[in-house]
Amino acid sequence: MDSLLTTSLTLAQDTRLEAFAGVTLYHYLFVSATMFSLGVIGFLSRRNLIIMFLCTEMMFQAAGIALIAFSRYWLNHTGEVFVIFVLTIAAAEAALALALVVYLFRRKSTLDADAWMELKG
Amino acid sequence: MSLWTHIPGAFSTLAATGVDAGVVDIEMGRPLFLLIPALPALAALLCGLYWALGVKSKFPAWTTVAALAGSFAVTLVAYFEIAAPGLTHVVHGFRWINIAFGAAGGERMLFVADFSLYIDSLTVLWMLFVTGLATLIALYASEYMSDDVGPGYCRFFFAFSLFVVAMACLVMGDNLLMLFLGWEGVGLCSYLLIGYFFKKPSAVNAAKKAFVMNRIGDLGLMIGIMLAFLHFGSLRYEEIFAQVAILQQDGGDLAWTIKAIPYLLLVGAIGKSAQLPLFTWLPDAMEGPTPVSALIHAATMVTAGVYLVARMYPIFLLTPESLTLVAWIGGLTALVAATIGMAQYDIKRIMAYSTVSQLGFMFLGLGVLTSVGAAFHVFTHAFFKAALFLCCGAVMHGFAGQLDLRKLSGVQFMKGWGIVGVAMFVGCINLAGLPFTAGFFSKDMILAEAFTTPGFTALGVIALLTAGITAYYTFRVYFRVFLGPQHFEPGDELHGHDEHDHDDSHGDDGEAKTHDDGHAHDFHPHPPGWAINTVLVVLAVGSILAALAYVFPRETGGWVKGLISTSSAAGAAHHDHEASFFGLGDPHKVMYYVSGVIALVGIAIAWWLHLAGRTTAATSRADAIKQKIGPVGRWAERKWYFDEIYDFLFRYPLLIFSHIFYLFDKLVIDGLVDLFGRSPRSVGAGVRPTQSGGLQNYAMGMAGGLAFIIVVAWLVVWRMSS
Amino acid sequence: MTLLMLILIPLLGAAVIAFSPERQAKWLCLAWSLIALGAAVYAAFTFNWMERTGAFQFSASWTWIESLGIELSLGADSVSMLLILLTALLAPICALASFTAVQERQKLYYSTMLVLFAAMTGVFAARDLIFFYLCFEFTLAPMYVLISQWGSSNRKAAATKFFLYTFTGSIIALAGLVYIAWKWTQIGDGWSFAISDLEIAASQMSMFEQGWVLLALMVGFAVKVPLFPVHTWLPLAHTEAPTAGSVILAGVLLKLGTYAIYRFVLPFTPLAIQEYAPLIAVLAIIGIIYTGLICWVQRDVKKLVAYSSVSHLGFCVLGLMALNTIGAAGSVMYMVNHGLSTGALFLCIGMMYERYHTRSLDEVGGLASRMPVWAFFMVFFTLASVGLPGLNGFVGEFMCLLGTFQSGAVDFPGGTTGPLGPWYAIAAASGMIIAAIYLLYMVGRIVFGPLREPSDHHAHPVLPTDLNLREIGILAPLAVLCLGLGVYPTPVLRSLEAPINRVGVIAGFHDIEAPGSDETAPAHTLVLVPEEAWP
Repeated sequence: MDSLLTTSLTLAQDTRLEAFAGVTLYHYLFVSATMFSLGVIGFLSRRNLIIMFLCTEMMFQAAGIALIAFSRYWLNHTGEVFVIFVLTIAAAEAALALALVVYLFRRKSTLDADAWMELKG
Repeated sequence: MSLWTHIPGAFSTLAATGVDAGVVDIEMGRPLFLLIPALPALAALLCGLYWALGVKSKFPAWTTVAALAGSFAVTLVAYFEIAAPGLTHVVHGFRWINIAFGAAGGERMLFVADFSLYIDSLTVLWMLFVTGLATLIALYASEYMSDDVGPGYCRFFFAFSLFVVAMACLVMGDNLLMLFLGWEGVGLCSYLLIGYFFKKPSAVNAAKKAFVMNRIGDLGLMIGIMLAFLHFGSLRYEEIFAQVAILQQDGGDLAWTIKAIPYLLLVGAIGKSAQLPLFTWLPDAMEGPTPVSALIHAATMVTAGVYLVARMYPIFLLTPESLTLVAWIGGLTALVAATIGMAQYDIKRIMAYSTVSQLGFMFLGLGVLTSVGAAFHVFTHAFFKAALFLCCGAVMHGFAGQLDLRKLSGVQFMKGWGIVGVAMFVGCINLAGLPFTAGFFSKDMILAEAFTTPGFTALGVIALLTAGITAYYTFRVYFRVFLGPQHFEPGDELHGHDEHDHDDSHGDDGEAKTHDDGHAHDFHPHPPGWAINTVLVVLAVGSILAALAYVFPRETGGWVKGLISTSSAAGAAHHDHEASFFGLGDPHKVMYYVSGVIALVGIAIAWWLHLAGRTTAATSRADAIKQKIGPVGRWAERKWYFDEIYDFLFRYPLLIFSHIFYLFDKLVIDGLVDLFGRSPRSVGAGVRPTQSGGLQNYAMGMAGGLAFIIVVAWLVVWRMSS
Repeated sequence: MTLLMLILIPLLGAAVIAFSPERQAKWLCLAWSLIALGAAVYAAFTFNWMERTGAFQFSASWTWIESLGIELSLGADSVSMLLILLTALLAPICALASFTAVQERQKLYYSTMLVLFAAMTGVFAARDLIFFYLCFEFTLAPMYVLISQWGSSNRKAAATKFFLYTFTGSIIALAGLVYIAWKWTQIGDGWSFAISDLEIAASQMSMFEQGWVLLALMVGFAVKVPLFPVHTWLPLAHTEAPTAGSVILAGVLLKLGTYAIYRFVLPFTPLAIQEYAPLIAVLAIIGIIYTGLICWVQRDVKKLVAYSSVSHLGFCVLGLMALNTIGAAGSVMYMVNHGLSTGALFLCIGMMYERYHTRSLDEVGGLASRMPVWAFFMVFFTLASVGLPGLNGFVGEFMCLLGTFQSGAVDFPGGTTGPLGPWYAIAAASGMIIAAIYLLYMVGRIVFGPLREPSDHHAHPVLPTDLNLREIGILAPLAVLCLGLGVYPTPVLRSLEAPINRVGVIAGFHDIEAPGSDETAPAHTLVLVPEEAWP
């Protein structure tokens, strides 16, 4: 844990990008975690289906940031490939989800998530 | 190894013990005697076959009569070959229940209950009157049941023959289990025959009652049998008697378990012989056809209890207290049944109560150590009670089921009823104990013995009183039904048969009064035919001649005494016959006078109350007295409410328990099972609210769960690294 | 090989029926079950009933799952053989009894029934624990189908309860059985499920272990019997099952429980059974009296007979718990006898039901006037059930009681060792009276008395007729056997001595003397050997 924080956190740097010299993996992960938490909190606290959907998108992007950061850290492209894959799926999924939201809105004329409790046991 | 081949044939137990005191030599008998049960069994089989083939003639009756007569003939052979010389034979039939086991001591034993016959003079005495009377009564029934020719006729004679088979097993079996086979077998036949008119609910109930009450007794008998096996390691009479002889010789204290055996056997005897407290089934058993009442419920089956006690007399003698109990049960039953008999109006029921009462006398006789008296009374009673029942049956047959003595009168002098009247008279004087009749002698032996046995004087007085009552109610029937003005009302059925259509459409008959609207047509009593009359004559003559068995042959002190003294029932330690009766001399001689006078007094009372001055069938002087004594007469008529008390004490509580048990079973036990079955569902119901259906609740659960896992994982990692 | 044939013949029959036209199903089923009966009778004739060591005959075994030591292993002693014969006898009878009662989906019905018979035969023939358990549990599936598809109104619930109840019990029994197999791995070389091996393994268990194994086994097998507090599935299942289902249930399925107690509980837990037999006996006695009284207040005649089965099987368990030869032999006799007489009673009731479509004692009665032949059989089998001497019921009942009575009475010439005693027998014997009460009550209402018929029977244009030849043909063999076993049970009893001795040696009956080596008996068949030639 300690070694990760002190010695190895420096991203593998290319000399051309000196402007980011002080930025370590830790910073990226912090941003990612913050975004993810905001997404979770938003998802749990907001009632509007569209907002909740946007929150899930935010969590996706948080995960994407973390993946890119690790990709840069290990100097391979695995993480980037993942992110591109996720973005593609997310786009498709966004289309589907928004269509569903529209459909749900037509059924009950509301976007409140609590209006849909049919799975109550 | 030797035990495998031990049974039958080798009587090593006897040889090994070296005891011969009190034990007679036993020989292998001739297989011929197996015919005694086999012939009636064949008849039963044939009657069943006739039923299956739909025979509609009197064939079943003739088959049965022939088979029973054959059986009787073989019994006579047995008498001359075995009983008369005082021998004991064992005839091996086949192995019924055999199995080897290891006794506690470690040696291999064989449980043996074979179908074998033990023939000694006691057996032969019983079988003589069983097969003899059965033959006669089958002949009687051939006419009596003639309205039922067809399936019912076959059924009747099937059960009739089967009864004789079972009775033969009971009496002739060489082990206690075979006795039990016969014991339950006669119970079955009794059940089938009481319930012969199976469409009548009363008949069905009476049959059921008889079987169940007998089963109560059988339970005692069965436990007694098992206990006997435990003690003697065998159920065979010869081995039991041999061991009992050893016990008698050794003297000393006996285990309480061995003392319990006679009491348990007595329970069985009480049930079968209708003694207190299990006597209430016998009067109800009169629902059966009269020949059945005569044979099974008067002459033979009900004496099985007496036979059992007589057969196992050595064991009873080991515990004399048990015989005291036998005596008291007998004496009290005699009195109670006689008092009930006084108050009845149904002549068959009066005869039934008198049977119970006379069986009480026999038990009393056994109890006061005069097994000869008891056996002699069984013998004479079989004849005269069969005659009485058959006379009642003839009346019932002739008067369309009429049995009420208030509705019949003067039958003796009606045309065609002479023989019945005379036979009835002979039966009555025997039952009443008029001097020099067979019944007089046999009852006298018991009475005298009761008086002379120390400690039994009270019972003697009770028995004497009962004898007086007996004379009264016997002649009450005779005076009401057979003497007096001629009058009758027909019954509303033909001996219980509801399908019989009776339409005599003769002209006017002055005597026939039809009070019942249901009988718009005139009624003619039809007097008995040749078969019934023949049987009645034979039985009447037999009843009279039975008295001779008291005197001849002189050297053995009477025929029955001679027979009994060579059997296992002879073991009674006869006390001093020189003992005087209240200082008056030989008790038997004295008793002649006392009981003769008592009988005459009873008859005189009956004459004064029921014949003298009687002008109609229905009323007599006795009615006035009955008015005066108030409820007591009614109580007696309702048989002292024995049935009601039993219902209250046993039947209803059991029924209530049954209902409670059923509810308990349905609600509690099955309820618990269902509860267990429902528990997964109820657990599900408990956690169901967590599934709210709200999207964000699920998300919260996910997030919370994830957080939990992370925390746990972190804690684990942290613990491991530190 | 013989035993495998006995299992395979019904299975083959089931397959043939499945691929045959619907209307031939019942005839094929009858034919195949008759073939199976013929094979069983042939086996009985080649079987040495007087084998004095109690060894298993017709032994055969095939490897099944080698790594676990599981084999397809078969063998029979005379106890098994008797029950196999009973099973084979009931097969054609059940087929015949269903000819008119079952009208729909006959192919499925008859093939299911044959599969059931194969499974039951397998239970009695198994010498491998896993094969035994497989068959034991597999009987549930066809029985479930029979009840739930061809039963009466409440059939689904009854079938579910029957399945779940007995299945739950059996799973617990399996735990106990597997524990013994695990014990074998501790002392032996790898896994084995051969019953003879496990008998050795069981003897290595401590009292504590045996107690738990006994509990597990008894939970499973007592449900099947069924013993007093776990009996409630039976009246329901019997009432709802089709006639043939009831006959199989009463005739054979219940005996799987008592047979398993005899075959496994006694030899596997010899110490614990000595300790706890009184407890089980008390349950049996409670069952005898309690369910006997319940019978008395039943309005449904089938339910009455079903409850009477619980009461009767109490005697059977009691005889086993006596832990002596007479008790165990009586119990085995009782299994056979109960199968015959109670099975026949269910057949009689089924025949009545086909005619009147009711089983209520309030609606029908006095049928002796309408159907005398039926009445004869009904009364006959009732009397066999009551335990009338001379009919089969008595032999088993008396011996169970006598075995109980002499058990533990070590100071008496006729006594044996054992955990019970006279008081148990006396308490149980009161069941004799109760049996008379309720069975005669039943007969008195339904057979005798004034004729009562359901008022709506006029809807049928013809009045109910007496039994036809087919129905007489069903009942008559049973009646003959009842009489035969009641009058001459000795050959059967003698053939039971040796196998019971064998179990007794393992189970520590102490009332037996191991058969000596000098007792070399020639091979005998049960039926043909004259008495003089018996060992």
